[in-house]
Amino acid sequence: MAENGEEKLIAVARHIAKTLGHTDNTADDILQIFSNFDGRLREKLSEKLTEDDDVLNNSSLDQTLKALDRRISRYLSSDRWIWSDSADSAAFLDAVDDLIGVIRDWTPMAAEKSVASGLDRAEDLLQRGMFRLEDEFKSLMERGGESFDVTRYSNGDPTGFDSDEDIDEDENDDDEEIPVAHRISDFNIVIDALPSGTINDLHEIAKRMVIAGYGKECSHAYSSYRREFLEESVSRLGLHKLSSIDEVQKMQWADLEEEIEKWIKAANVAVRIFFPSERRLCDRVFYGFSNASDLSFMEVCRGVMTQLLQFADAVAIGSRAPERLYKVLDVFEALRDLIPHIQMVFSDQYCLFLCNEAISIWKKLGEAIRGIFMELENLIRRDPAKAAVPGGGLHPITRYVMNYIRVACQSRQTLEQVFEDGVSAPVDRPSSSSLLSVHMSWMMELLESNLEAKSKIYRDTALASVFMMNNGRYIVQKVKDSELGSLLGDDWTRKHTAKVKQYHVNYQRSSWSKVLQVLKLDNNSSSPTVELRAMKEKIKLFNNQFDEICKTQSNWVIFDEQLREELRISVFSNLSMAYRSFLGRVQSVADTGRQMERHIKYNAEDLESKVNELFRGNGRRK
Amino acid sequence: MPATDYQGSSAAHTTRSFFSLRSLRRDQVHSMDSFHSTSQDQELEFFQKFVAEKFSDLSANKADEFLSLSWVQKLLNVFLDCQEEFTTLVSGNKRYLNRAPMDRLFSEFLERSVKALDVCNAIRDGIEIIRQWQKQLEIVLCALDIQRTLGEGQFRRAKKALIDLAIGMLDEKEGSSSVSHRNRSFGRNNVLKDQKSMGHYRSLSWSVSRSWSAAKQLQAIGNNLAPPKPNEIMATNGLAVAVYTMNNVLYFVMWALVAAIPCQDRGLHTSFHMPKQFVWANPILSLHEKILDESKKRDKRAASGLMKEIQDIEKCARFLNELIDSVGFPLNEEKQEEVVKRVKELGLVNEAIKQGLNPTERQVREVFHKIVKSRTEGLASSG
Repeated sequence: MAENGEEKLIAVARHIAKTLGHTDNTADDILQIFSNFDGRLREKLSEKLTEDDDVLNNSSLDQTLKALDRRISRYLSSDRWIWSDSADSAAFLDAVDDLIGVIRDWTPMAAEKSVASGLDRAEDLLQRGMFRLEDEFKSLMERGGESFDVTRYSNGDPTGFDSDEDIDEDENDDDEEIPVAHRISDFNIVIDALPSGTINDLHEIAKRMVIAGYGKECSHAYSSYRREFLEESVSRLGLHKLSSIDEVQKMQWADLEEEIEKWIKAANVAVRIFFPSERRLCDRVFYGFSNASDLSFMEVCRGVMTQLLQFADAVAIGSRAPERLYKVLDVFEALRDLIPHIQMVFSDQYCLFLCNEAISIWKKLGEAIRGIFMELENLIRRDPAKAAVPGGGLHPITRYVMNYIRVACQSRQTLEQVFEDGVSAPVDRPSSSSLLSVHMSWMMELLESNLEAKSKIYRDTALASVFMMNNGRYIVQKVKDSELGSLLGDDWTRKHTAKVKQYHVNYQRSSWSKVLQVLKLDNNSSSPTVELRAMKEKIKLFNNQFDEICKTQSNWVIFDEQLREELRISVFSNLSMAYRSFLGRVQSVADTGRQMERHIKYNAEDLESKVNELFRGNGRRK
Repeated sequence: MPATDYQGSSAAHTTRSFFSLRSLRRDQVHSMDSFHSTSQDQELEFFQKFVAEKFSDLSANKADEFLSLSWVQKLLNVFLDCQEEFTTLVSGNKRYLNRAPMDRLFSEFLERSVKALDVCNAIRDGIEIIRQWQKQLEIVLCALDIQRTLGEGQFRRAKKALIDLAIGMLDEKEGSSSVSHRNRSFGRNNVLKDQKSMGHYRSLSWSVSRSWSAAKQLQAIGNNLAPPKPNEIMATNGLAVAVYTMNNVLYFVMWALVAAIPCQDRGLHTSFHMPKQFVWANPILSLHEKILDESKKRDKRAASGLMKEIQDIEKCARFLNELIDSVGFPLNEEKQEEVVKRVKELGLVNEAIKQGLNPTERQVREVFHKIVKSRTEGLASSG
């Protein structure tokens, strides 16, 4: 009797709860009150509930769904953002979780018709919930991005990454505006792409969407927004999209230099700061779903990375004009330094192609550099021997080539790498020398042959020698003065210094041997009158020839002061010795020097001052 | 005679390497008579016949294969083959490259090649766009997966994806008019929300600037493309004809790619004028006409790209849309069957795209590399 009464009581209690309770929660609350009222009821009520579930299958699913519908629909119909209130969002997520749970629990029994139709309604409700979640997700991304805009980019300019400022200087600004985690080196700035709370919210939503099978929509919404955000950030670095490879080829050199500089900065910021930041964000939003995370990350970064690489590609494809070397080197080095970072941030399966692309373009840049050197070699080889440099001075090509190579070799390490990378098979060469030094010696050879060809234009072989002396001296000086010295080796320097000396000797011989010959006197004793007459002739001849040479050669050029002095001294010393002994003989033969004095034009001091007028150039230089 | 042997190869159209200029030259080396001047003529003739045959083959495809992804791949292959032959031909005649008028003609060709590089990049962008559309297709297929029971929810989901797809495809058709979507002040005011009406973000941005135009680029490639004058032909020992041929190959292939695949400011108005005396003129012109005919068809006039798979997407999507709109719940058997049928069709299209896009992109990249390589070599030899 008592049991029956109890059962009845419990049934009544249940009935009251269900009728009065508009939501599961309320019904539960009422049952809770009843349970607290009487300990016996507590046990019975909880027991009975589960039993009822088993018995009342369908109506239970129905009830559950009805309750869930109420819980979810009240938010679906609301105009307000659910996530503007954390209690609302929590409640909504709970409802969605429960719904997912219900679907999961009841799907095994889908064969039953009533269960199937219940599941249909559940899926329908789920879909509506998911759509709302997607909207909330997008709105969170927008609003989160917005509020961060204000803190990160004050005055409309990016505080951290202004294209006009140096990265180093910006770090101070960053301190004030961006919630920076910590900083070790220039690019080790850790930035939070979105407020932490927002990221959590996004994650909670993403979790449900992926579990419910709506991961594609979630990933798509996420990547679309972040990709645009990223592109905008990069464009604020001053890097605008190029119109085309065509245009890069046609760009004025100054403009291209500017673009390259912007590119280097943008590439570094993107690879070392933005991409890792996006990776972290992806990982947090899609925490627990690595595939979704990887896929979304790739979609976010692909556009910007492709854009950066296309520019580098355009630079690599460009002409091989030698003046491009330094900028191509800049891009080459920048990319080389970035590749480890690229490999690190794009390490997952979807992003591998970006790594490969970066590496292949880097290699193309190396090719371009090798091509530029080849072009330079061609230019040297083909430079025509047309107009001679007046006065046998320095030829522009010598100056150009030597300065070019000297500056280029300041990037010696990079160039060595470039040339080593260029060989696929081992090259036959002395083991001590690098490919770069081989190339450099080859270029020196080409330059020398070209200069030799040019020297042949001079009708006067003495002038040709002066020409070779000038240019050879310049070359040797520049070599000694730079990396080239160690690249080419001491032997090379010694050899070429000796060559310059040889030209000196040639000059002496071709210019002065005739004159010196004049000053030679035979020792045969002819009659004094004959001798005197001969001497008179010789003196006249000497004066003429000497004057002639001085007139001509004073316009010749020796650019190097030291060399000029050396030459004058050696000319004078040879000359004065011969002249003095000649004069001595003259004076010894003529009793009265008066006769000869008339003809002797110069004494030793005069000779010296005349010789010091040599190689003055156009009188502009001394 | 190698030239006549060549005729027989038209049946065996597999890879290119069997009959090529290289094999022609090899044969000549082994033959007893090798008159150098006539061998140059032979090579030239061979090259032109080669080009003609390749393009004839492209026309000969079955109707449903025309302008499909696999056809596009064939087109790209044709280009690669022709470029290869051209390079061989030119490399044997380097001595002419430095002389007028060949130096000018050749450097003009290299200029056009550079412009073609931009088209290649734009095509790759277009392929990426198609990938994004394919993502929407996958959502539709996921929603209407026949393994599950199809309720209202799934249909709504499929419908939303189809709408997103339509918007995405519309974006590409409108081209520059969708600039307004792009001018975001980046959310500082609520312009963002109003314009996008919650989340139809532009699916992809171009990697080139907004001012770039495929139509203009094509015009630039085809600019001043005139057949060589008799004195030019004489002075270059016939090479001018080869250059003219290759110019047209380049021009046409780029044009056809732009016709097939979405890209910024597609314009098919560029025309082709080649004297019919060239043996390859007819094959190319007939292909040109065929493609133009396609573009004029009523339903394709505003297409984002003439590629068959794009048409298939639009068709399938349209059917499904109509079907979904007409459906009432619960589904009757007839509707159920129709849905299954349409979904299967869509699945096939999706599969075709999935299989075909990556190889096509690789081919485009290959063409890009080839052009770069020939340009570098060309610049080096003409120096």
